Amino acid sequence: MSGQIYLAIAYLAMISGLAIWTWTVLSRSNSLEGRIEALEQSIRHGEE
Amino acid sequence: MKRLGEVLTLAGLTGAGLTLWLGFTWAPSVTIEAFESPEAQKIFYWHVPSAWAAMLSFSLLFIGSTMWFFKRNQWAWRLHVASSEAGLATGLMCVVSGTIWGAAEWGIPWDWTDIRLNTFAMLTLLSLFLVLGRRSQPDGIETRDTFSTFGMYGFLLVPLTYFATRIWQIRHPGPVVGTSEGSLNSDMGLVLLIGAISFTILIIGHIISGMRLAHLELRFEDLTSKYEELI
Repeated sequence: MSGQIYLAIAYLAMISGLAIWTWTVLSRSNSLEGRIEALEQSIRHGEE
Repeated sequence: MKRLGEVLTLAGLTGAGLTLWLGFTWAPSVTIEAFESPEAQKIFYWHVPSAWAAMLSFSLLFIGSTMWFFKRNQWAWRLHVASSEAGLATGLMCVVSGTIWGAAEWGIPWDWTDIRLNTFAMLTLLSLFLVLGRRSQPDGIETRDTFSTFGMYGFLLVPLTYFATRIWQIRHPGPVVGTSEGSLNSDMGLVLLIGAISFTILIIGHIISGMRLAHLELRFEDLTSKYEELI
């Protein structure tokens, strides 16, 4: 393989890694938000 | 604040992609006389901005650790958590891209005698320790103090890493920007600047998002305890 192809593979791998990290942080936040909302509702019902 | 973190992260990610594209298609190549592997030199457009972003993360880690340890500010602990994760991610990006370049240019991916390489690796390992250690320990004042102490003292490696190639240049190249010896082509410098700005925006966005995530995790733990008491 030529150097250009190696470089393109390295570039794609790095930007994909960065995108996966970003997606993980944002999806963890969204998932936690949903779970917090559900817990808050349950606690409110429990207190009533 | 939620949207700000997301917008900055996505803008930084787009800028990082643009940097790679410009580096691949537009920035001039170096000559075979100057480098063993001219194609591999273009990894520099990823390696240098990620090193810069890592140093920024480790500096914010120091601020978060110090403010938690001495002032007990909750935002400072969240900054410690978010910047240790950002330091780990950007540190790994820098180390991985550096070893790829080293393997192509030097013929070996790592040099154990080079001060810059080893102090930077120690910084990355420190952030790995902070991220994994925190996840394996119950949250509390003692745990936070212990990890904050590592965050504060570990910062000593930042100036040591920065000055390493100026004092003991072994294998890692010396500075090429902002020095009288620097000879960076202006087009290369422009792509590098776009990369540095993009990675700065990206890492600030990630740290804002990471601080919010740390806040949500703590809130979730509190609510879970409260719910368990109720049932």
